[in-house]
Amino acid sequence: MAAITDPVPTSPEDYNEGILAVLAPPSPIYVVAVLTMMGLVGAGAAALAYQTYAGMGVTGLMHPVMWGVYITTFVFWVGIAHAGTLISAILYLFRAKWRNAINRGAEAMTVFSVITAGLFPLIHIGRLWKFYFMLPYPNQRGLWTNFKSPLEWDVFAVGTYTIISILFFAVGLIPDIAAARDRITDWRRHLYGVLALGWRGTAEQWRHHSRAVLHLSGLATPLVLSVHSVVSWDFAMSLVPGWHTTIFAPYFVAGAIFSGMAMVITVLVPVRKAFSLERFIRAEHFDNMGKFIVLTSTIVGYAYAVEYFMAWYSANPYEQMSFWHRAFGDYWWATWIMITCNVIVPLPLWLKRFRLNITWMWCTSILINIGMWFERFVIITTGLSHEYDPAAWGYYTPSWVELTILVASFAHFFMWFLLFLRMFPVIAIQEVKEEQYEHAEAH
Amino acid sequence: MASVLGVLKSPAETVGVIHSLRGAGFDDLEVFSPIPSHEIEHAFNPAPSGVRLWTLIGGLTGVTLGYLMTIWMSYDWELVIAGKPFASIPAYTVIAFELTILFGGALTVGALLVYGLLLPKQKSRGYRPSFSVGDFGCVVECQADQIPRVQELLESAGCSEVRVVEG
Repeated sequence: MAAITDPVPTSPEDYNEGILAVLAPPSPIYVVAVLTMMGLVGAGAAALAYQTYAGMGVTGLMHPVMWGVYITTFVFWVGIAHAGTLISAILYLFRAKWRNAINRGAEAMTVFSVITAGLFPLIHIGRLWKFYFMLPYPNQRGLWTNFKSPLEWDVFAVGTYTIISILFFAVGLIPDIAAARDRITDWRRHLYGVLALGWRGTAEQWRHHSRAVLHLSGLATPLVLSVHSVVSWDFAMSLVPGWHTTIFAPYFVAGAIFSGMAMVITVLVPVRKAFSLERFIRAEHFDNMGKFIVLTSTIVGYAYAVEYFMAWYSANPYEQMSFWHRAFGDYWWATWIMITCNVIVPLPLWLKRFRLNITWMWCTSILINIGMWFERFVIITTGLSHEYDPAAWGYYTPSWVELTILVASFAHFFMWFLLFLRMFPVIAIQEVKEEQYEHAEAH
Repeated sequence: MASVLGVLKSPAETVGVIHSLRGAGFDDLEVFSPIPSHEIEHAFNPAPSGVRLWTLIGGLTGVTLGYLMTIWMSYDWELVIAGKPFASIPAYTVIAFELTILFGGALTVGALLVYGLLLPKQKSRGYRPSFSVGDFGCVVECQADQIPRVQELLESAGCSEVRVVEG
């Protein structure tokens, strides 16, 4: 078990040296990892090319289940993105200083996961070159997009989230890129020189920078709540049994933060170990992330229970049938994986000794990621496979094309994260130093 | 004009130097800091950052554009969808909200670039790489005959190094 009194850096030089050491030339293991991820992304691209050439018939999507692995994975990756904004924006507004050590990594995850998510609507529509139909552009038919559709809201919500996440991430990076510019001596020095945009850390620059970060945090906070609410309305605005419910927005937002926080742990544990960042990402950070997981797991578990309660209490036979089918029908195994991973597996984290056990946290986080992917799969697939008319019931089995693209999406996410690790500081240097100066002055 | 650089080790020392120099009539100062510091910022008693105005302008532009675009397009080709009015304000509020955030955020970053980075009034003279690590720097612009006085003020305020900056 990691001690809560892990050693901390003692000087500003310690911070710069320790964090920027990650940017050193890569090890063979790192190169192999990146190449492996690139290979898997290539396999996914090949599967997508085949699907584009042959048509959507190569997927398992068939009436009545016309949304499957692609939409499941889209919702999953949008959800993963949420922890980054929670940590960087919401916890910033609440002045939760512990976030400083993990916010950069979480922000990077936000950017890469939302980009990964953004690929899936394109993949799902099959004729991906028609995606621009969703944009309100002047055309010879004189028709505009349907702004009353939640799918159109999604275009604006996810598009805005992508752009704001990238801007927020870039603004936070500027001072640290300048720190890298001042230390790195190889070819990247010129790159950092350009990207630092002339940053010198003057009082005037910090004044505007702090104000911009504050305002972006203020804008990103309602945005993060809105994005997964809008995604949930893709389902809740329909009349499908199991989908048409008002709790979907808070239920989805809590689930998104739950899964996102789990992914932060999944990614940061090996990064912390591989790059000797134990002095910066300490046991107390895992303790706090564990508390978030306990909180959001409880909300998600409560939402599961409320769904079943409302199905029973509503006396609506279609709702009751849908939820019975969910727990004991064709997809019972997926439902019980979901409940086990999202409600039962996190229970030990109520105890501090488990939150401080990094290995336990890491294993738990992986199971939560699995559980949260299955949550979306259960909602989508069980809802569509058993709607109102028994004659239209069906069973969905993903094809190898969909599963290859699913695996490739994880590789896509990890590939970008690995490349980011060697290019930019994975910990916000100026923010952790700021905390140290405040601590020093307080004593 | 000459420039004199003083190197310090903490925000508190830097604030002390700023007060001491401004008290002696030297207002043309530039401070380099590895971290954002409210104390240093307040020592200059600055006007509010212009960034906030552009956030507001962006947000108002976004919300206005969001409603105008959706309402105008709905009436440009009138189609009844799901029995709702052509201009369904509750549904369009989602679009207007997202554009508020989008334009507000974009103009915030644009204003940061203009005010803080691309059109900076700050002087880079005297900057050194240690200012992005742990040192704080204070550069004073003064007449050549004032250099000894500035050096004396910087040294008495606790600067670990004081020197005249060339160029």
